[in-house]
Amino acid sequence: MFLVILWLLQDFLTVFAGGGMQIPGLFMLGIIYRLICKDDSDGSLWAIWSAFAGGILWDLRWVGIPGFFTLGNVIVVMLVIKVWGSIPPQGRVSGTGLLIFILMEVSQLVPPLIPIIILGGDTGWTFFFLQQIYSLPAILLTLRVVLKKLKEKAI
Amino acid sequence: MDNKQNNTREWFHGLTALILALFLLGISSGLGVMKNIVDLWGAALAVPEYPAVIMREIFVGWRLWSRDKDFLDTEVKKLRDENALLRRELARLTGEKIYSDDLKSTREKNSRTARITLRAPLSWWNEIRIDKGESDNITQGLPIFYEGYLIGRISSVSLMSSWAELITSSSFMIPAVIEETRELGVVAGDGNGSVFLHYIPAGRGVKSGMRVSTAMIGEQLAPGLPIGKIAGEFSSASEGYATYKIQPGAELSKFYTVNY
Repeated sequence: MFLVILWLLQDFLTVFAGGGMQIPGLFMLGIIYRLICKDDSDGSLWAIWSAFAGGILWDLRWVGIPGFFTLGNVIVVMLVIKVWGSIPPQGRVSGTGLLIFILMEVSQLVPPLIPIIILGGDTGWTFFFLQQIYSLPAILLTLRVVLKKLKEKAI
Repeated sequence: MDNKQNNTREWFHGLTALILALFLLGISSGLGVMKNIVDLWGAALAVPEYPAVIMREIFVGWRLWSRDKDFLDTEVKKLRDENALLRRELARLTGEKIYSDDLKSTREKNSRTARITLRAPLSWWNEIRIDKGESDNITQGLPIFYEGYLIGRISSVSLMSSWAELITSSSFMIPAVIEETRELGVVAGDGNGSVFLHYIPAGRGVKSGMRVSTAMIGEQLAPGLPIGKIAGEFSSASEGYATYKIQPGAELSKFYTVNY
């Protein structure tokens, strides 16, 4: 439900912006937040298929051809699972801020990059760079929430 | 063991999702049915997106209104200035009566304000110093106003301040016109707080309350700047010319700022 709300919110904001500005990928930030803060026993399959479904729906709504954001979202989730899984649970609290920031930045970078690489276009590149700038506040906010949650878990 | 199994499962599911995504990307562009699905999904999302559409319309409408208002304000200001200029020109060419009060409001809107920094008791009715100078585009001869009426003109300018000679100064003399009769004369002060209009032919029906403004006779001052009203006849000379006392439009005993 949490991810559905984030997806709808991202869609809502994109409609409101009307192409005037790029909206941060809230849905992917939500998936990363859950992946990082979840218990190991929960598994990660839900994340893979949620990213897949969210990507398809986004492609159908905003790109017109399914596959672009689907592919990007799944790549990001696989990367997060691999990188976060390689850190031992004892070391996930302190000193991981930069790593989480990079993972979140990648989540904003990769999905919109794929249609631009394949389809190209000047406006695409401009919009892509603008999105990275607009994403920064959302990334920092999520990072703060994630770090707080990790500290609480450690206590 | 469980952990390894989990990892294998995750990789298996991940790779399946990737292959599916690539497969979709490969085939969907050629499928005609995809357009229908896109339309259907768009129609379904129209419901949750509806408030965003409305909010956007309101926002865009407000932004356009604000931009249009700015544009209209600028245009109105431009037209007002142009209108005032044309009316003055028309009056000059045809001798038609136009009242300086009509131009007063336009000038008030466009003027800038300066603070009086010195009014020496010894030259109380002669001059003032203001806190604006060359750096504020003040030039010698520039008229200064209070409450929309002419009260003097700049006599000397330095970088950060200027001196202005007041209308009540005995050395202040400017050509003026009685707006109702178009009689021309010279406005001059007496250095003691009074202002007079000299050289008006006697017996021309000049009455108290008639408006006096600057006349355009080769002076540095623009025509039509309001000065005040006729307060009454002061004296009548033997050559047939009368002098009238003028009631300045601005209250000269209590002003702290001037406009220019």
